[in-house]
Amino acid sequence: MANQKDEGDKTITVAVEILNVSKKFGYIWALKPFSIKIDEGESVALLGPNGAGKSTLMKILATHVLPSSGIVKIYGLNVFKDGENARKRIGFVAHESFLYDELSVEENLRFYGRFFSVDQDVFREIIEFLNLKSWRKVPVKQLSYGLRKRADIARALIHNPDLILLDEFFAGLDEETRNFLVDYFKTLQGKTLLMSSHSAEWAKQLCKRSLFLDRGNLVQDIFFG
Amino acid sequence: MGFFSAAMRIASKDLKVEFKRAYEILSILTFSVSSILICSFAWGGAITTSPEVTSSALWIILFFASVLTFTTSFTRETDRGTLGGLKTLPCSSLSILFGKTLYATVLLLLVECVLLPFSFVFLNLKIPARFLDFLLVFLLGVIDLSIAGSLVSGLVMFSEGKTLLLSFLLFPVCVPVLIPSVLATTKIINSATPVDVMSELRLLLAFLLSVVAVANLTFKFVLEE
Repeated sequence: MANQKDEGDKTITVAVEILNVSKKFGYIWALKPFSIKIDEGESVALLGPNGAGKSTLMKILATHVLPSSGIVKIYGLNVFKDGENARKRIGFVAHESFLYDELSVEENLRFYGRFFSVDQDVFREIIEFLNLKSWRKVPVKQLSYGLRKRADIARALIHNPDLILLDEFFAGLDEETRNFLVDYFKTLQGKTLLMSSHSAEWAKQLCKRSLFLDRGNLVQDIFFG
Repeated sequence: MGFFSAAMRIASKDLKVEFKRAYEILSILTFSVSSILICSFAWGGAITTSPEVTSSALWIILFFASVLTFTTSFTRETDRGTLGGLKTLPCSSLSILFGKTLYATVLLLLVECVLLPFSFVFLNLKIPARFLDFLLVFLLGVIDLSIAGSLVSGLVMFSEGKTLLLSFLLFPVCVPVLIPSVLATTKIINSATPVDVMSELRLLLAFLLSVVAVANLTFKFVLEE
């Protein structure tokens, strides 16, 4: 298969393949051409200052933005030719919430979940696992920022995606909620995680590899520890 | 998930959100009723109002009600950041547009349900002999307005003055709907047969097909920021 490589005696699936991807907004380079591969099950932090291109890369991977050049493959699927199937394997948490204020947590999850043919039990499981049971009937506009973030994570993970994209995930969260969510993500086995952050400290808690972007250039690709 | 079931789910979500914040739909209905009442006062009992004037008034009110409807279509998704959520769904961009079209059609039909009885009472509009043809013209006109309006709402959603731009663009785009609709309504009030309004119905159908073709070619790019 195109998205598999041999490493010694075991075959590793390539989860994300970025080939010469760039993005220009008008005359401004948001991302200059670069290529990387991320293996299945890897946790990768995308670090860099504001305007480095982290969110643009996240949006390209989430199929929200078309790159100016290059190819992106998610588990071997070209996201711009086969976006609908690629999206089934992606769970994206952006820094803004994708939940509808007027609908309750449960109504929001049901709306998103139905597109992925999610079972009834899964709704209950994820609501319980993210400690949202007491708030499941509450309209999202009445939730605190931390609870809303949890509900948004439930929305992104309801279809059990293989690739989880977290864009500026820790921003605005208190210590307790951050710890809760870091512990939650540590329990997810076999998932490929790509998170963007300003803070290397928080990224190190979840990720073993980091990519450092600066003004649209990929300047560093290192493994922690 | 199939094209139509995805569109249906998006439309039902939008309607649920709309009815949970009932003040917007109520303001559209209040506008329609007030307009009918003002016309009634102005025309002094409306005993001698000609079919041309009545049908024009009905379509003018419906057009302005549609402007109010389309300002809550795509523009609300961008203002609240939920458009990203729609982009994470495993469905085509065209099914998102059709979902929004269905939503607008239902809202405008609801406006018609209020508008027509009030017109019979306050504008002395006589129930046409060919009432089903009368309803067919309104249905086709509303579907045309909905798809054209949803497409324009999508086109302007990332611009700064989107509400102003929507009002400016919607009229020229909807002229090919409004002219045959007004003419066909006038003829049917004057007891014309379906054969007499066939040319107007053909125009409405041709417009519908043209907008679907344009949307099919362009809407994928419209959703990109």
